[in-house]
Amino acid sequence: MKKIFLLLVVVFSLSGCEKDDICDASTSTTPRLVIQFYESAAPTPVLKSVTALGVIVPGYTTMSFNGSKILIPLQINDDTTIFRFIQNGADSDLTNDNEDILNFNYTRKKVYISRACGYKVLFNLTNTNTNILTPDSDNWIKNIIIVKPNLEIENEVHVQIYF
Amino acid sequence: MKSMYKYIFSLWFVLATFLGHAQAQQSKDTITAVKKDSIKPKTERYGLRLGIDLFKLTRSFSEKNYKGIELSGDFKFTRKHYLAGEIGNENKTVQDDHLNFTTKGTYIKAGFDYNTYENWFGMHNMIYVGLRYGVSTFSQTLNSYTVYNPYPYFGQSPVTVDGTKYDGLSAQWIEVVAGVKAELFNNLYVGFSVRMNNIISNKVPDNFDSLYIPGFNRTYGGKFGAGFNYTISYFVPLFKTILKPKEKKKD
Repeated sequence: MKKIFLLLVVVFSLSGCEKDDICDASTSTTPRLVIQFYESAAPTPVLKSVTALGVIVPGYTTMSFNGSKILIPLQINDDTTIFRFIQNGADSDLTNDNEDILNFNYTRKKVYISRACGYKVLFNLTNTNTNILTPDSDNWIKNIIIVKPNLEIENEVHVQIYF
Repeated sequence: MKSMYKYIFSLWFVLATFLGHAQAQQSKDTITAVKKDSIKPKTERYGLRLGIDLFKLTRSFSEKNYKGIELSGDFKFTRKHYLAGEIGNENKTVQDDHLNFTTKGTYIKAGFDYNTYENWFGMHNMIYVGLRYGVSTFSQTLNSYTVYNPYPYFGQSPVTVDGTKYDGLSAQWIEVVAGVKAELFNNLYVGFSVRMNNIISNKVPDNFDSLYIPGFNRTYGGKFGAGFNYTISYFVPLFKTILKPKEKKKD
């Protein structure tokens, strides 16, 4: 009998060590917008890297990116996020900056993950390819294509930008 | 995690009190048993024992986020077997890191207990194991949540007040029980039991989960659960049988 008790107490104690109090880092949570950059002049899609790309949501800090793929967060409390994409905006030289305004509209859906992680928000882009970029006299971005309007995971490309 | 340590500590504490108590009771009764003359025929009492879970009761007063009551009963139908069950109601609000929810509901558990303890003459204590089948119907209200946000560019997610009530939830489970019941005074018992639960069926809400099930307690993502109770109960003797000498020899 004592043995059964001991066993029960041990099992009981171990149950407290289950890791469901902490949200595991590998859990798929609220996805960021994944953008891949391409060479606009090439006849077939060729990846092109950005250098010192500055991305700013008005009122927040500058995010700096290099490479052909970037991940940027969308606002979870609003149906719109406006980004200032500044070519060479993350370097110290202000003379070579070129700013384009990108406007992403979307619907949001809250999805339950787990006790530890709570909820995530999944987005569905409602833009058309042509109404994301605000035209100005000197757009460095030539073309934008939405390839995956449903933002669910981060290991796929949602938007292609040609420049 | 902190609360879990507290839980384990209180469990040990209660167990320890019981060990002490059981010993005291035993020695006292042994003495009276020795003093008594054994001419009287040995009898075995049968009847109904009704009780209340003191832990749930005290917690209802001490904790703002908890209201609960559990009544328990068992009926002795052989020398060692008892039909046993619990019925209860709980209303519990839980604050997790990203969630705040309230579970309300009623449950009933039915099964049997088997007394493994060989009592000295005149004693009616129990060290028992048992099984229960538990059923609970409940509702769960998501009071508020925060969206999990590993990239806080826009700052930490604010707490979103929700208030969605998920009705008509239910769960069924099997419970393995181990416990003790000791007679304090005439027919008045205190008892403690621990329970390992395993879910058989669980109707969970859409886009949410049954994170607490009345009677089952906290869920852990899988089927496993655990609980305990700390009861005070009163035994109502209904009939007696005289033990035959043959049966006595067997013991």
